[in-house]
Amino acid sequence: MIAYLLNLAQLAAIFGLLSVSLNILIGYGGIFSVAHAVFFGLGAYAGAHVALDLAPDILLAALAAALIAGVFSALLALPALRVRGEYFVIASLGLQMLATTVFTEASDVTGGLGGLVGIPPPTLFGVSLADPLVFLLVCLGALALALAVVRLLMRGSFGRALMALRDSESAAEALGKNVPLLKTLAVLLGGAGAGIAGALFAFQEAFVNVESFTLDQSVLIMAMVIIGGAGTLAGPLIGTVLLLALPAALTFIPGLPPTDIGAVQQLIYGLAMTLLMIFRPAGLAGRRAGQR
Amino acid sequence: MLVLQLLVSGIETGALYALTAAGFALIFGATRIFHFAHGATYALAGYAFVFASRLGLTWPLGGLLALLVAVGFGLFLEAAVYRPIQRHHGAFFTIFVAAFGVVIVVQSLIELSFGRAFVAISTPLTRAHEILPGLYIARVFWLAIVVASLVFVSLGAFLARTRAGIGLRALSENPDLLRAFGLSARRLSALAFALGSALAVPGAVLGAATTGLSPAVGAHVMLISLAASVVGGIGSLRGAALAGLLLGIVETLVVAFLDTQWSEAAGFVVLFVFILFRPSGLFGAAVAR
Repeated sequence: MIAYLLNLAQLAAIFGLLSVSLNILIGYGGIFSVAHAVFFGLGAYAGAHVALDLAPDILLAALAAALIAGVFSALLALPALRVRGEYFVIASLGLQMLATTVFTEASDVTGGLGGLVGIPPPTLFGVSLADPLVFLLVCLGALALALAVVRLLMRGSFGRALMALRDSESAAEALGKNVPLLKTLAVLLGGAGAGIAGALFAFQEAFVNVESFTLDQSVLIMAMVIIGGAGTLAGPLIGTVLLLALPAALTFIPGLPPTDIGAVQQLIYGLAMTLLMIFRPAGLAGRRAGQR
Repeated sequence: MLVLQLLVSGIETGALYALTAAGFALIFGATRIFHFAHGATYALAGYAFVFASRLGLTWPLGGLLALLVAVGFGLFLEAAVYRPIQRHHGAFFTIFVAAFGVVIVVQSLIELSFGRAFVAISTPLTRAHEILPGLYIARVFWLAIVVASLVFVSLGAFLARTRAGIGLRALSENPDLLRAFGLSARRLSALAFALGSALAVPGAVLGAATTGLSPAVGAHVMLISLAASVVGGIGSLRGAALAGLLLGIVETLVVAFLDTQWSEAAGFVVLFVFILFRPSGLFGAAVAR
């Protein structure tokens, strides 16, 4: 039971990092990406390769993951600079679908459907972090760091300019803000954050394959941000905890066949998304509609 | 001969994609609602048809049931989901997320009641006949072509000649002026949803008879509709139809040169390139920025 809870807590910290990084795009930048699992995946593959081929050093893996995911985030920045609204959502959908195929087919790098197996437990400067409690602390540390960075940035000039851009792109441009640079930086930051989450995820599972990086995962991360409250510091965390606790809570419902749990879980979170958008579009932690 | 055979099945797939994409384009064009749950309408219609044929109902009755389900579902979404959101908010992403939630709900409901596996109904229509040496064509191919052409011709006539059709086109261009003329934007938007959802039915019914359905089919169809709408020019019916046809052909022809896994990806490469370099699509006006 303790091991199960520790595992769940590690996942919560990793997905918290994911949703906090997506929040930079959706909540603060108004860049509605549904391709976040792509960068999560890139980071996981990069981290796994560092651990398998070089050394299982967590700092090295995280750096490599952030670098790779950050570089590839240009693929998302490109459409973000050119189109807005529906068009950008469709572009990011297209990117997600392409990436899923590439992850599946490029089996030399990603292991294809079989994935990359046998990722060794993480170390830090030669000290083992294999103990679940220690690893949980590392994940929580990464999450806390990400939260601190977001809080600091969003209070500074970068964050203010970014939010101005979200609320009115032409106004921000008229005030002399460098819109392309702001958007590119936001996408880069979000992508790198997702990459680090990916590296942690690779160590946590000791195994990565494409199934964790599909459109479904992107939508789940998006739902965490939206349900919790986009553009708030606490919102993504609330959404993450709620959506991760859901499947765990469902296993305790008597009379529910285990094979149906997946579908019932999807049903509940789909319904939550729709109802929340109708009655409280700013999310649980967000301000009520019309206040913004 | 392989290429020709693939071309034939590509045209069949493409004709059905064209209809579904045209439904999406009609709704978006008239109401500016990004009806992401259009694929869910397709899935529901297809499964309604499967349900009817399992009950032993005939083709026309099954088709009618599918039509009722599709139109009812479209109208329900318009009234219960999109209109309340538009009333107080109107941000497109709110609508997108709500619609995505609907897609997930429908998919899991189908999974719970029909199971995860593929379902298909067998009919003599799909039995292939050798037309030329090495070229097999099933009767369903002709049916798809005829149905698609008939629907497009009558839709074109409806939009061009009837009062309601002209109203629909006016709604997309200037809703305020429409109100000034005493037409109800609300009723026209419901009409757009009814018509657009009905357009998903032929594809769903013939899809159930040919390739089969799975709970995830809605997501796939929705992606195709989106891709077709963008490539054709968002809101342009003609563009969406042509692009749907092209995507069906590309998706099938790719199989001759690459692994089947790449067939869906091929469509998205086209989509991505279009968004980057020609976001207004083939027939659209420049509206992206």
